[in-house]
Amino acid sequence: MAATGTPAAAGAAAPGGEPFQPPDVDWADVSARLATARRLVACLPLVALAAAGGVLAVLLDAAWIWVIAAVFVAAAVWAWGVIGRQVRSWGYAEREDDLLVRHGVLWRTVVVVPYGRMQYVDVYAGPVDRVFRLAKVQLHTASAHSDAYIPGLGPQEAARLRDRLASRGEARLAGL
Amino acid sequence: MTAQQPAPVADPPPPVADGAWHRVHPLTPLIRSWQTLAVLLVVVLQDAGQNVLRQAAAQGGPGGPDASWVRGVAPIVAVVVLLVAGALALSWRMTRYRVTAEALELRHGVIVRRQRRARLDRLQAVDLVQPLVARIFGLARLKLEVAGGSGSSIELSYLTDTQARQLRNHLLAAAAGLVYETPHAPEAPEHLVADVPVQRLVTSLLLDLGVLGGVTTVGALLIVAAVTAGPAALAGLLPAGIGVVTLVWRRFTGSFGFTATVSPDGLRLRHGLLEHRAQTVPPGRVQAVQLQQPLLWRGPDWWRVVVNVAGYAGRGDNRHTENELLPVGTRAEAVALLAQVVPDLGLEPGEDPLTVVAAGLRGDSRRPDGYLTSPRRARWADPVAWRRNGVRVTHQVLLIRRGRLTRRLAVVPHARTQSCGLSQGPLQRLLRVTSFHVHSTRGPVDPVVPHLTDPDAARLLEDQAARARRARRLAPPERWLERRAAEHGLP
Repeated sequence: MAATGTPAAAGAAAPGGEPFQPPDVDWADVSARLATARRLVACLPLVALAAAGGVLAVLLDAAWIWVIAAVFVAAAVWAWGVIGRQVRSWGYAEREDDLLVRHGVLWRTVVVVPYGRMQYVDVYAGPVDRVFRLAKVQLHTASAHSDAYIPGLGPQEAARLRDRLASRGEARLAGL
Repeated sequence: MTAQQPAPVADPPPPVADGAWHRVHPLTPLIRSWQTLAVLLVVVLQDAGQNVLRQAAAQGGPGGPDASWVRGVAPIVAVVVLLVAGALALSWRMTRYRVTAEALELRHGVIVRRQRRARLDRLQAVDLVQPLVARIFGLARLKLEVAGGSGSSIELSYLTDTQARQLRNHLLAAAAGLVYETPHAPEAPEHLVADVPVQRLVTSLLLDLGVLGGVTTVGALLIVAAVTAGPAALAGLLPAGIGVVTLVWRRFTGSFGFTATVSPDGLRLRHGLLEHRAQTVPPGRVQAVQLQQPLLWRGPDWWRVVVNVAGYAGRGDNRHTENELLPVGTRAEAVALLAQVVPDLGLEPGEDPLTVVAAGLRGDSRRPDGYLTSPRRARWADPVAWRRNGVRVTHQVLLIRRGRLTRRLAVVPHARTQSCGLSQGPLQRLLRVTSFHVHSTRGPVDPVVPHLTDPDAARLLEDQAARARRARRLAPPERWLERRAAEHGLP
């Protein structure tokens, strides 16, 4: 009854007991290039700082600067790992009447957006995204809360998803 | 575009929906910018007066030398006034509207021309607003909300009082799919559901915990400051005090003289002390409704009713009152309004809606009452209110109850849920509980059921998706009277 410890974390055992892994849903993953892109953006500055620290340490012959450099390296390694898990946590599934989007490692969310509720679909690609051939698909309903988006799709997949969502939405469009 | 057709200026009302372009009332620019004009006038007069006085003093006696000053400045003032007046007149000339059977169109803008068209079957709400100055001149502003996110409303300002009312009646009739033979749409008959006596409004505002907290905090600060730093410190705290007073004043003036009536057009809410507002929310336009009770309203058992309506974004000056269906009322009034907004709770046969609603208003998990509640282990994540968390699913709606200090009961029709979802933080994951979210349009009601057991939440999500799908398919048409006519076998 009380805060029973860790087994909950691995609680996929009970059928239906794992709300973020509903049965008979085929999750599609986002592109692994998203991890590369995000790692580059996050780790490169850290590594650069660490390298600068190393150079300084050699030049000034001060041991304590090595500690700072090591901290930056550790941060880079940690970010590397976290980004990997975050990107793997993204998933989406097209069902007959709705689209499921899930993400998050510590704070997990699942959103179910009915096609008939979609007002419009946006596709974004920032400069870094374009270098890595990535795009983000964002769904808009009349609610500000159902802010469902899928980052890190390949351009073809993003275009396919956009068209598919648009056509399905049109077929099932409801009023407010 | 001015040359195309001589639009009837200052038209005497006859048929509103004639499809021709009309201008708004000629006094519009004056009323819209009266504040600026008043300030300007005061500044100019004061300046002129001072100059006159100073010069009179310098001359040491009455002697006409001030004429030179007047001669110097008067042309500039005159030119500025003419320019401003010209700009205002031009903007007035360029503002025109047209009403057809399906839509309302508005054209305005001098440099950037804008044209906006609102489909009447997408009408979400119509507000008739009369600021104090407009009331003096017998004018009113008509504001239409069409679903389309923020800034999608159309404002016609200003029309004469009768014009605005006739136009509103026509718009509502057209939105309802009602066809009428008379030159003007009939004004829908109304009957009163709830009103708020001044005394109750004042008491409720004083008892509202948020306001009370603000007042006591500021009061305490003032006393502390006066004791420790002497009266000089009071000056620094004055803005905070003024802020609290302004807030209370705004709520008071906004909700003053509140009445809620029901008509075939929908709910009609009238309120306001200085600025009169008459809001009309057609049936089926309410996306979610919530009854809430601050802690100190328990004694008299008062409730506030707020709603999400697409387009009522809860921003700007009137954000406190725009979404309020009832600022304060007895439980019976609140439930009566709920029944108007959600006529069918979709309960099992033989169930009493009043008991179900009462359980949502005051019940908790100690007494099983058909609500799906948080498990005991959720108390670690939500030590105060975990017993109150609960959701009841019926054939038509979700009833979501929350909050122990401020009690809340949200009701969301299945046909109005936009999307839904689950969320789980690290602590919740440890406790094997998950929160269930229903996404509604922007507004004060955020329907969330916190801390359900994992399987319950998963099942709720799965079922709700299916229920919402079914409800959408069966949803009544946007023109609400058409259906009624069809049901009764009328043309």
